[in-house]
Amino acid sequence: MRQNQSLTGSIDWPLVSVYVLLLIMGLSTVYSVAYNPEHPSLFDFSEKYGKQIMWIGLSLFLGVCVFLIDSDIYRKFALPIYLFVIALLVIVLFMPAVNGAKAWLGIGSMGIQPAEFAKIGTAIILARYLSSVNLKQQNAQTVLVANAIILIPMALILLQPDAGTFVVFTSFLFVLYREGVSYDPVILSILKLIPIRALHFKQTWIGSHFIPILFVVIFLSITTLLISNETIILSLFPGKEIPGYWGMIFFLALFCLAAYLFMRFIFSKRDRKRALSIAIIGFVLASILTSIVNYTFQKLAGHQKERIELVLGLREDPDGDDYNRNRAMAAVGSGGMFGKGYQNAIVSSVQTNHVPESETDFIFCPYAEEWGFMGTFVLVGLYIFMILRIVFIAERQKSSFNRIYAYAVAMILFYHFTINIGMSIEFAPVIGIPLPFFSYGGSSMMSFSIMMFILLKLDSQRKDVLN
Amino acid sequence: MKFEDRKYVILSIFVLIGVLYSFKLFYMQVVDDTWKLRAQQIAEKRREINPPRAVIFDRNGNKVVSNKTYYNLMMVEKNIDHLDTLGFAKLIGWTVQEVKDRFVAIIHGEGKYYNRHSGKTTSNYQTIRAYPFIKELTAEEMSRIAPHLENFKGFYEEVSSMRDYPYANGANILGYLSEVTQLEIDNDNFYKPGGRIGRSGIERYYESQFRGEKGIRYIVTSAMNNTVGAFEDGKYDTIAKQAPPIHLGLDVLLQAYGEKLLLNKKGCIVAIEPSTGEILTMASSPNYDPNLLVGNRKIRKNYPALLNNEDKPLFPRPLASEYMPGSTFKLIQSLIGMQEGVITKNSGFPCNHSIVGCHNHPSAQNISQAVQMSCNPYYYAVVRRIIEQGKKSSSFEDAEIGLNIWAKYMHSFGLGKRLETDITGLRSGVIPDSKYYDKWYGHHRWKFSTIRSISIGQGEVQLTPLQLANIAVIMANRGWYYMPHFVKSIGDNGPLNRFHVKHKTMVDPIHFSPVIEGMRSVVHELGGTARRARIDGVIVCGKTGTVENYIGKVKQPNHSVFIAFAPMNNPKISISVFIERAGGGGGDWAAPIASLMIEKYLNGEVKSIEKEKRILEAILPTSK
Repeated sequence: MRQNQSLTGSIDWPLVSVYVLLLIMGLSTVYSVAYNPEHPSLFDFSEKYGKQIMWIGLSLFLGVCVFLIDSDIYRKFALPIYLFVIALLVIVLFMPAVNGAKAWLGIGSMGIQPAEFAKIGTAIILARYLSSVNLKQQNAQTVLVANAIILIPMALILLQPDAGTFVVFTSFLFVLYREGVSYDPVILSILKLIPIRALHFKQTWIGSHFIPILFVVIFLSITTLLISNETIILSLFPGKEIPGYWGMIFFLALFCLAAYLFMRFIFSKRDRKRALSIAIIGFVLASILTSIVNYTFQKLAGHQKERIELVLGLREDPDGDDYNRNRAMAAVGSGGMFGKGYQNAIVSSVQTNHVPESETDFIFCPYAEEWGFMGTFVLVGLYIFMILRIVFIAERQKSSFNRIYAYAVAMILFYHFTINIGMSIEFAPVIGIPLPFFSYGGSSMMSFSIMMFILLKLDSQRKDVLN
Repeated sequence: MKFEDRKYVILSIFVLIGVLYSFKLFYMQVVDDTWKLRAQQIAEKRREINPPRAVIFDRNGNKVVSNKTYYNLMMVEKNIDHLDTLGFAKLIGWTVQEVKDRFVAIIHGEGKYYNRHSGKTTSNYQTIRAYPFIKELTAEEMSRIAPHLENFKGFYEEVSSMRDYPYANGANILGYLSEVTQLEIDNDNFYKPGGRIGRSGIERYYESQFRGEKGIRYIVTSAMNNTVGAFEDGKYDTIAKQAPPIHLGLDVLLQAYGEKLLLNKKGCIVAIEPSTGEILTMASSPNYDPNLLVGNRKIRKNYPALLNNEDKPLFPRPLASEYMPGSTFKLIQSLIGMQEGVITKNSGFPCNHSIVGCHNHPSAQNISQAVQMSCNPYYYAVVRRIIEQGKKSSSFEDAEIGLNIWAKYMHSFGLGKRLETDITGLRSGVIPDSKYYDKWYGHHRWKFSTIRSISIGQGEVQLTPLQLANIAVIMANRGWYYMPHFVKSIGDNGPLNRFHVKHKTMVDPIHFSPVIEGMRSVVHELGGTARRARIDGVIVCGKTGTVENYIGKVKQPNHSVFIAFAPMNNPKISISVFIERAGGGGGDWAAPIASLMIEKYLNGEVKSIEKEKRILEAILPTSK
């Protein structure tokens, strides 16, 4: 029997504390935004805050249920759970569209979004698959199956369509990276098609670090496009300007220097030389990439260039396509150092309605407007702490199933945090995804809570599990 | 674990994003002001609030002009949801087609403005903006509509304030308001499109005293451009201040009585308090009810009719009509003659009909009698002496010098120049001088015999009724006047400073007594021309005028003129009455009207019932 140890003693209280803190902050923000003077009671279930309390209560109830269930069940029933959520994702496609997306599975007036729960199912089966005893990280089969597990729900979600959740599923790719799944088999088989002997390697560095490299390339390309048409005014040297492209190279150099110093700090003595070469090679490759992107972009025909500029939001159109972001940034930016005070949001209040969805996807706006930088700094800190804590938990697991699952949770939360807040500060495209534990909404509240409670349960029993 | 180091890559990304986001948030929220300004642009609006215009009282504290609440029925196209056009049309009492036409007119017409930069007329009509569907509904009309408005989404009521005239009198004095023009908006940032400005009368002259101080409210607006509430609980708001009330010298009851007497006649009455220059009455006939020109709706409906009316009710006759003064002019001729020393108060001249026609009366033995009998040949003789003083041997040169001396005297009586009162639309009348006749006849081509008609107030001389009344003021005051004016006080301040300046004529007070004695005789002695102007218990001093009137060479009915002041000692009222084409002499129509006005003003009531009845029943001119 595993029940002989104290249940509460093995729970990770720091993580629970942050979780509860975020719930309270989120609820208070929903109360502030959706406040209806005719129904001032927090427990008025006809208002959004009342409903949110209901969702939180339901989530906590489900959390207790999760704790009562033996943690082994997830590993054992990983495939049925996965198939169940996939089935839900298929069924939802036959449901009537709400706001142009077939994302809701109606139960009476209430509805749930299967996509939210698909994340849990995918995380569990990915953990189950990657923790298989005889898994070979370098095998073609491994990389194909692992990617298939991720791509199937992604494809179904794209059919809804729900761009936000679709993007969130790419977070699992970082889990594959952490577990050492190599893309080498894929890359090598592609290289074999090229009839040049010199290109036939046994393994490539790119393949094993494929995911971070892919993201760095995408990130650098977009940043280059954003910055290449700008000129940077140097405030230290009045009147001096440099073209955006050279500014980009300068920042890359600075970044690589910082990365080198960071690596020196964490690497062992033996690896310090390697850190230098990584930094230099990284800088050279990044510079070449930005040069190519910049050059190609400048050579593009006018209309192609225009289209890219429009997609990237380079063309100012505050009342048109970029309306939401413009209003959201005005709300966040007008918060100032200490904010306008609780319930004093103007731009993002529901009454003015300048910021759409200010109690769900854009809930960061009223929070930032009311609490200012003091509030947003605390919130960013709490989320980063929560995610780091989950990584810490992941790394202390003996069971690789537990570790992989924990990483998946960390990555999903990280994605939600980064994109949701990034929407309001021009760091991420405007795709509607909720801020975990904070935004109003039943499906996200329940799915994130279940995800969190499964993690806590797994962690509380980490000493009992061997594989 | 072989891949354990990879956790550092992932951890670095987490920390990096956390740091990056913190920096960006710090920059956006604390360092950079761009987004704060943008937020203000988006959600805060500065709304100007126009206070109601100043209220106007008459000299006895009767409210002459006040403000009345009106309602605009506003619509926001975007909020309109499946409009029941038939029901809506029924509610506002229109036809369905009219409702549809109005929608088209709003969508294509409202929000149109001339873009000065592009030189094109463009429209900034927006479906989320509020536009008036019906303007200026009265409280009664709105109370019928308002209870049902909740059934018609997108429509709501808005309060506005407009002028109201409890007495339907004095339209030409008070003037009216109309919507500001683009030029006025450009020249004065007080005005915004749709605002109103004084267009005529004292509303126009005292525009800046009437309009008050604007209030400014900072409000929070929603994405639909609706008002959500006050910005920071109205911390920065200022309150609209209504201008202090304005008191007029006008006696509105006397004005009303004057307008009543003038019914069915063409002409005007001007009454002034001689000791202050305050205008008591300035009636013009035909007239209009000032309530006809309140608000765009009524202006659009009534203005063209008033403008095209051949009786010209919009024309302020007392200020802008220039008439020959006729015999009333003889008062001043007497005074100038004495002051110049060409006659004395005891000078007599025979009534020689061979010089000019006259009525049958004994020859005047002195000034008083000349005034009383209004002897034409007498005044030919007097003015001849003024014009031909024998300073030059040539009668042409002599006349030039004499006429210019004469004209200078006339100017000192406020004639031949504009009386700068506090209203617009004044004319100056005509007092001819040497330059004037040089233009007509050529230099030194004219002499007294050429211009002798001016002696008896005919010919080239022209006066406005206001100037006529001012002559009565000068007579009453024995030689001086304050500039006639309407506004007695603005809030706690008195009238404009220039109305405190005493204007003295070039004639010494001593010369006035014989002329005034003549004026008394005109009314109170046998053989006087205005016996109809007698009032029991009051000594009225007056002078009649009968102005010959030609159109081309065709003789028209005479104008009937009378000026007077009363009582003789310590005068309280000076008056001029001018009845166009009345047919009779000054004593027949103008004099009794003046006396009724004096009686009404001095005694508060009219006991001369028969006299009043005769005037009220008269329709002049008869031949029409």
